[in-house]
Amino acid sequence: MIDPVFLEVSVVVLGIFLLMAEAFGLAKEKSTLAWWAIGGLAAVFIGTFFIGPNSNSFEVSGFYVVDGLSLFFKRFVLISTILVLVMSVDYLPIVQRLVPAERPGAGSGEFFILPVFTCAGLMWMVSATDFIMIFCALELVTISFYIQVAYLRRSMSSLEAGTKYLILGALSTGFLVYGITWFFGATGQTNLVAIREVLPLIPVANHPAILFGLALVLVALGFKIAAVPFQFWVPDVYQGAPTPVTAYLAVASKAAGFLVLIRVLEPFFTVPSFQNKLFLALVLLALLTLVFGNLAAIPQTNFKRLLGYSSIAHAGYLLMGLAAIGDAFAGGAVVFYLSGYLLMTFLAFLILVPVTKASGGDDIAHFNGLARRSPGLALAMLIAAASLAGVPFTVGFFGKFFIFEAAMNQGLYLLVLAGIVTVASGFYYYFKVIRAMYWQPAPEDAGPVAITKTSSVAIFILAMLILILGVYPQLLIGMLP
Amino acid sequence: MQLALFWIFSILMLAFALGVVFLRNPVSSAMSLVMTFVALAAVFVTLDAFFIAVVQVLVYAGAVMVLFLFIIMLLDLRAEKHRKVRPSAWLGGGLVVGGFMAAISQVIAGWSALHQTKPELSDPSFNDVAGVGFTLFRDFNLPFQIIGVLLLVATVGVVLLSRKELK
Repeated sequence: MIDPVFLEVSVVVLGIFLLMAEAFGLAKEKSTLAWWAIGGLAAVFIGTFFIGPNSNSFEVSGFYVVDGLSLFFKRFVLISTILVLVMSVDYLPIVQRLVPAERPGAGSGEFFILPVFTCAGLMWMVSATDFIMIFCALELVTISFYIQVAYLRRSMSSLEAGTKYLILGALSTGFLVYGITWFFGATGQTNLVAIREVLPLIPVANHPAILFGLALVLVALGFKIAAVPFQFWVPDVYQGAPTPVTAYLAVASKAAGFLVLIRVLEPFFTVPSFQNKLFLALVLLALLTLVFGNLAAIPQTNFKRLLGYSSIAHAGYLLMGLAAIGDAFAGGAVVFYLSGYLLMTFLAFLILVPVTKASGGDDIAHFNGLARRSPGLALAMLIAAASLAGVPFTVGFFGKFFIFEAAMNQGLYLLVLAGIVTVASGFYYYFKVIRAMYWQPAPEDAGPVAITKTSSVAIFILAMLILILGVYPQLLIGMLP
Repeated sequence: MQLALFWIFSILMLAFALGVVFLRNPVSSAMSLVMTFVALAAVFVTLDAFFIAVVQVLVYAGAVMVLFLFIIMLLDLRAEKHRKVRPSAWLGGGLVVGGFMAAISQVIAGWSALHQTKPELSDPSFNDVAGVGFTLFRDFNLPFQIIGVLLLVATVGVVLLSRKELK
């Protein structure tokens, strides 16, 4: 049996080993580093199934919790990182073209190593039960993302995205820390378990202070999960960042942000006077996010930007699930939605990378005639788009269905109505990609899209999982914490 | 006495903070920020937090701001002097600041601890360097280790993003 603390430690050790291997030239090809990283992370993934009881050692106990939820999300994060690395191997030629290097290949090894450290940060984040711990883990994740977003130094849009993400990320960190200080001032605690215990005892005169802190923390986490009105960084950063990093941001960073949000809000849902206000704030956020994310996606012509707005829209559905958290199955619905979101978003990005390499850009127009050039890829993309839109017989349908069901049970009819209307607009903009692939003629000189073996295996598995879970969702429901 | 010191240093701090925002010359702004940090350190002293006060001066007013000034002087920022601020930016910024101030003043006005005085230290010979050390390395060991990983990542990132040609 493994002490759960060793999971993150081994990921960090793996990262340090890879840095040393890169520094001393142990890997002839840079992509070897990625395979080692994938192997190491896969070993840690297997290790998560042999977890012993949490060692209640003094240093760890107050900060770190291993329950079903955090274990599920540790696996979630590990799978995401492995998929990001698979995608990065495919993306390597673009990195090497856009990084200023003295000799060929220099400076591209770290592109595979930084995600490993991000992975450790995300794994700590999903286990954090103390604001100090949340802050440290979140900063590890965010700082490693600043570097990865700005990685392509010869690309102006990557640098712009990096600068934007840095400044707005620092702003949101400021909100987070300021909110935490208000909590600490009013309750004398940074530990979420302790806060839950003290909360009912706080005199009413101090409630505004706690609500103020809560609002600030909500703003900061709203940045991380891309909720409207804190979403303005998303389109530019998603478009400018290297594609694997965009996928990582869209899936793992958002999922960990949601888990932290659930953990932070949990104590406040137990006290009625906070519950009502928090509920109102969540409904409002969900409504704004749903409407804005879906409407702003309609006119987009760039595929990465479209996925950026679509990720805002998905945050809206997830927030709807969070607003309905009083329902017994709402938590499970949110986790189910996030898992489905992982499958379909990674599928879309895994297809985008070879298409970008073959057609020279990531606009929707670059997908023109893909059905004739590479029918298999086009079919997989069709599945991804259908699932993102929520067509029946895909996992995306059940994700939305469970969330709507939980919201109906809680009487959130307005939100459900907004959800149904926005799903319809989602059909329209995801359909644009399908139309480009199946009804637009391919450029004259375009041949089939070249794709590596591992990518095609990953694409096949993800597409199959989306369809299988779309018919038989119990498979995933059984695994939910 | 303590209250008078608090007001003096708070007013100093706020005045220089306004200077950071309103002075047009970046070097003057940076120097105002140094003074803000020094005044903040003085407030820490009145709260018996000597170690934090010293660190505040050494790290922020010393190391961080010297770096800031170096960069400002290296970049030779003149554009800031001629920059016009649009009225819409004034309005938006004013609304945010006003809203924030209103919220904070409302929160503070109702706060029960408002009229409490600072409790005296139970042990006047308390060694706050040791206290910070114990807190950091024993109670908060796990977050401290994470910060270590963070610094490693940041170092790698600085090399990656700032070297002219990567080797």
